Amino acid sequence: MAEKLLIGLGFLVLAVGLPPWPGAALVAVAMLGFTFAGARVPVRLWLAAVALPLGFLATGSVMLLVQVGPEGPALAQDGVAAAAQVCLRAMAATFCLMFLAFTTPAAELIGGLRRLRVPAEIVELALLTYRFVFLLADEAVAMTAAQRARLGHSTRRRWLRSSGMVIANLLPRAMARARRMETGLAARGWQGGMRVLTQRRPVSVGMVVLVLVLQVAVGVAATWG
Amino acid sequence: MHIMEGFLPASHAIGWYAVSAPFVVAGAVRLRSVLRDKPEARMTLAAAGAFAFVLSALKIPSVTGSCSHPTGTGLGAIVFGPAVMSVLGVIVLLFQAVLMAHGGLTTLGANAFAMAIVGPWVAWGVWKLAGRMGLRFAVAVFLAASLGNLATYICTTLQLALAYPDPVSGFMGAAMKFGSIFALTQVPLAVAEGLLTVVVIEALSGKTRDSDRIAALAGEAR
Repeated sequence: MAEKLLIGLGFLVLAVGLPPWPGAALVAVAMLGFTFAGARVPVRLWLAAVALPLGFLATGSVMLLVQVGPEGPALAQDGVAAAAQVCLRAMAATFCLMFLAFTTPAAELIGGLRRLRVPAEIVELALLTYRFVFLLADEAVAMTAAQRARLGHSTRRRWLRSSGMVIANLLPRAMARARRMETGLAARGWQGGMRVLTQRRPVSVGMVVLVLVLQVAVGVAATWG
Repeated sequence: MHIMEGFLPASHAIGWYAVSAPFVVAGAVRLRSVLRDKPEARMTLAAAGAFAFVLSALKIPSVTGSCSHPTGTGLGAIVFGPAVMSVLGVIVLLFQAVLMAHGGLTTLGANAFAMAIVGPWVAWGVWKLAGRMGLRFAVAVFLAASLGNLATYICTTLQLALAYPDPVSGFMGAAMKFGSIFALTQVPLAVAEGLLTVVVIEALSGKTRDSDRIAALAGEAR
């Protein structure tokens, strides 16, 4: 837990804070190493998840290549350099986030919020929200599959109507479930606290030292390199 | 429209955190007082947050051929009010960032401002205004949801333009650039979200009288 946060957040700060070349590039390489060699994240899954943010990056950085002057759009003078810098920084930061996303179960996230002294009500709300996400997602997937099987997405018009129906059916179900859960918990004398066990693994000193040395090295290399 | 992790420079990331913080804190205070009065609202709110999360995973067709997803903030703001929605929005954005790598931690402040603060407040404002002007129920819902969505997109555009002004024409030029590229997908999407929200609220509230519909939806969470 502690090592993971040190890796993910530490490198994230470095990626955003240091000059992109060579800082962010070094961070990206280090994070790829931690993700695949350290955490053993399946490559295929990782690629599927990274596609969406990289799509945003592609459209966003094209904008930096172009400049709009009085005589219309033209290629920007330092556009390539600017776009490359943003791409590097965003990619390095995304790799850090992906590392956290692939290795953090929600229980740890909630525990972290608690330790950050976020008000208990908000933490409970977050936990309950997380619990509901999967219940609702299952129902939404089932409903969408049923609609697809009945040509519910065959035209745009129908698709929109079908989506509307899914959402319209989902909300009352969500509310009904919420009420049932509330009644059930109230009957058991629930006071509004939900404690979850998180596994405490001993911090590996070697790993922490390795990460810190790497981070300092990246910082030094990027600042004076 | 989530700004991806690392896209904003450090100074902007911190700045947007600072801008969003007071709204979220105010929302949290409001939420706590709601929960103190009616502890049973907790479940309803959690279900609403999860609902917004699931909505963002649901694809809807958009005219240009691209698929996009509704934000659900319009619906949430109309039913639950904007202050509470800002807290729910931040929770949802945090989950999207940390569990799905959608959005980001450094850009959480900026995204929260666009999606959990500007969007809901605009939707709610339009909703109230349309009600006062005596517009028809469906029209009011449509306007609130689609303008809320549009406001979110305009806000994101301005945030990006502020971070990356055009080398020649500055902030305005950059706003035009980012705006025109996102308009392709976002304007049809705003219309789609508006229509969708009308369909949803119509279907949900059935045959009750217009003025009672939202109250019936909000249940005890209001």
